[in-house]
Amino acid sequence: MRSVVRKRGILLLLVALPVFAKLVTRAPQLQLTPLHGVDFVLRHSPTTRKYLIETMPGGVALLDYNNDGLLDIFLVNAGHVPSPLRSPAHFDRDNPAYWNRLYRQNKDGTFTDVTVQAGLQHAGDTNYGMGVAVGDYDNDGFPDIYVTNFGKNILYHNNGDGTFTDVTAKAGVAAGGWSVSAGFFDYDNDGKLDLFVTRYLDWTPETSKTCGRVEEPMYCPPGEFGSTTNILYHNRGDGTFEDVSVASGIAAKKGRGLGVAFADYDGDGFTDVFVTNDALEQFLFHNNRNGTFSEVALDSGAALNNSGKMPSGMGVAFQDYDNDGLPDLLITQLPHEPYVLFHNDGNKSFSALELETGFGALSETSSGWGVGLEDFDNDGWKDAFIVQGHVFDNVHSYDNSLRYRDVPLLALNNRGHFERGNVGPTLAVAGRGAAFGDLNNDGWIDAVTTALGDGPQFYLNRGGKSHWLTITLHGMSSNRDGYGARVQVNGQVRFATAAGSYLSSSDKRLHFGLGDNSKAEIEIRWPSGIRQTLREVPADQFLIIKEPERK
Amino acid sequence: MIQVVLFLPLLLQPQAAAPQAADQAKLLLQSGIDAENRNDLDRALVEFRKAAEVDPSSSEVLLRIGDAYMKKHDAAAAIAPLKRAAELSPDSVPIQQLLGYALLAQGYAAEAIPHLEIARDPGALGIALLENDEPAKAIVNLQSALESDRENPDLLFYLSRAETAAGSQSTDKLLAAFPNSARAHQTRGQGYYQMKMIPEAVKEYEQAIAIRTDLPGLHLELGEIYAGRAEWPKAEEQFRAETKLQPGSAEAAFRLGDALLQEGQMKEAADELRRSDSLRPNMPETLYAMGRALAAADASAAEQALTSVLKIEQNTPLAAQADLLLASIHRKQGKSELASREMADYRRIQGLRGQ
Repeated sequence: MRSVVRKRGILLLLVALPVFAKLVTRAPQLQLTPLHGVDFVLRHSPTTRKYLIETMPGGVALLDYNNDGLLDIFLVNAGHVPSPLRSPAHFDRDNPAYWNRLYRQNKDGTFTDVTVQAGLQHAGDTNYGMGVAVGDYDNDGFPDIYVTNFGKNILYHNNGDGTFTDVTAKAGVAAGGWSVSAGFFDYDNDGKLDLFVTRYLDWTPETSKTCGRVEEPMYCPPGEFGSTTNILYHNRGDGTFEDVSVASGIAAKKGRGLGVAFADYDGDGFTDVFVTNDALEQFLFHNNRNGTFSEVALDSGAALNNSGKMPSGMGVAFQDYDNDGLPDLLITQLPHEPYVLFHNDGNKSFSALELETGFGALSETSSGWGVGLEDFDNDGWKDAFIVQGHVFDNVHSYDNSLRYRDVPLLALNNRGHFERGNVGPTLAVAGRGAAFGDLNNDGWIDAVTTALGDGPQFYLNRGGKSHWLTITLHGMSSNRDGYGARVQVNGQVRFATAAGSYLSSSDKRLHFGLGDNSKAEIEIRWPSGIRQTLREVPADQFLIIKEPERK
Repeated sequence: MIQVVLFLPLLLQPQAAAPQAADQAKLLLQSGIDAENRNDLDRALVEFRKAAEVDPSSSEVLLRIGDAYMKKHDAAAAIAPLKRAAELSPDSVPIQQLLGYALLAQGYAAEAIPHLEIARDPGALGIALLENDEPAKAIVNLQSALESDRENPDLLFYLSRAETAAGSQSTDKLLAAFPNSARAHQTRGQGYYQMKMIPEAVKEYEQAIAIRTDLPGLHLELGEIYAGRAEWPKAEEQFRAETKLQPGSAEAAFRLGDALLQEGQMKEAADELRRSDSLRPNMPETLYAMGRALAAADASAAEQALTSVLKIEQNTPLAAQADLLLASIHRKQGKSELASREMADYRRIQGLRGQ
């Protein structure tokens, strides 16, 4: 990629105007597009009692559950909230209006609701839905689905025949409490995906309260409730998981976890974990390579924002935005403070560069949730897409400069500096989840977002002329999904993961924009430690790369 | 309830009376004083009343009765004997003063004013004037009282209230007399801003600027509204306009520098912040912002600015922020020991703040 950068720099100097025209045509043209057959509505059932859980759903996953090469969509619903709500709570999840839904993509680009056919209609009546994680935890080649809830979480094993089986009890991953985001990753590089679950607050209907004015109650800030621990499950490889939260050191830190993302930030070959906390220091769990983690965010410079304040961390992306080969962190948060960008300085430390990178002028009065660092214009630089909307539905009554419903932010990456892009005509919604992937297999990244009380939004990328390459990893010694692999294409790096964002799971395929390059050089460091290089790979294709055998 | 606790020594003058009655009254008066000295106010009142019956023209006895009631926190009962005493001795400062206190304590501020004027008690008079909706006169008197009693919290409290009230009165006058003036729009803008009615505030400021584009402060205040909403390009535009109007304003230069900083224009921000620092040196906020602006491009200059912050600020949130930023700079330079030291200072301050 560095050659691309240099080449473009020279071109800019020599023929500025034509190149400018070319750059303009490269600007992504996202278009809010209804997808035929997707009739989902995220029903969160807000009450006058302002139960905080109502503000937080819900997740979306882009996965190819039947391995037909087309991305399918799984959407997490919330539930009906009785008022008053009492423990044990019942959320009417047997009512089809509150089901989670799986939509299978057909060859013609339409979708079919296959929830019942797939056996996913049982979300658990005592579960209020939150998020979703996707990973092939048993390495059988079919992606499995993990749903987080306020209540008990559910692991659905993909049977490989279009159906799923609830294996939560056997697997031992129900968690409990208020789970939010989750993600599969292989922290011990044993070739089996482990599972990380963030939990938000020690909250129950009985400890709930309202804040604000008597005549206009509002949801309370998280500081009104107790903090809690996150959970790490180790995959034993026999269909069961062991809760190693305490043994691994993950439970040593209590927080208000919302988002989670994975990458090997210090290049030691082991995947580290970043957890966003709401109005607290953020957590960076450094993988000690012996099954334990040390929380190092403050001393690494990744705990507080540029002005030393504790971010209201919500969503997170853990990818390399400036093409220096090191994963950086982009964190969404509440308004009046910029979204936080921690630049990886390469010596196990980060610098908060949200102002230098332009996010000071982009965040303004918006609240961000789901977030991705994806190359929407295929120019070789990862752009940011952030779904937005305030936490509180009556925030306008308290501060009329703020709004509950908002439009998403597309921030185009101009060599490390972000500038507002055009998402096209869109609707203001109370945005929450966001997943990214190439829905229509045209080589251009699309975005799917969720919104409270609304249907999902599909931002299809109308594309352009730049080249691209999309890679599916097929792990052999490593986990089948290749999660945790470091993949470098023409100098750009992606860390293989479906996790990140907020509550959501993205297309596991690794997408690279190649700009003017019609060929690519690919270097992969698999979680197993195996390194693989492919040269002169033609652009504009979906490539499956199988992990080689250890020599 | 106004708490007036500004008692002065009572300088009483003997009054003329028939010799026999006067002697009896004096005995009763002394008996009452003795009871008062024993803190037996009820007994004292009995003796004083008897003295008043014997010598009803004694303003001293009436003053003693009023004083005893005041000591019993019964201002209502004190008023009648004090009024009679004032009729008998209109020039007596202690009588006028105590009557003024009693009337003021009962909420009769207008009635108290002439008595307090005679008593030349600027503190109590200031309070009475404030209660009588005369804040401008109240300010003069309260300031005068504070000259001889600088640390009196009651006086400071009432002066603060009087200044607020005076401002409000002036505002009402301004809005009534010149509703379409730039200052009226500015004033309404300030009011809307305080009520967090941001679009309305912005509209008022825009109208004010349209009328008087050269009025100092308008662009600054509008810029601050935009800054509060993190609308940095708009804030920058206003701060830039203010710096043109007031090139010597360190505040305007600082605000512009901060807006540029938020927009990621680090070099321009640093230039403007340096200018602010030259106009008003050693402002810790300016120095800290300079540190942030310079952190990436000129670590040494950033370090210098942040070290200056730490010379001015100790154990404050800004000092903690400076420590944090210094740690980040040192980490980036590979100076892990220095970074650790700054982080230790950061944690120490956070610990102090948590206590």
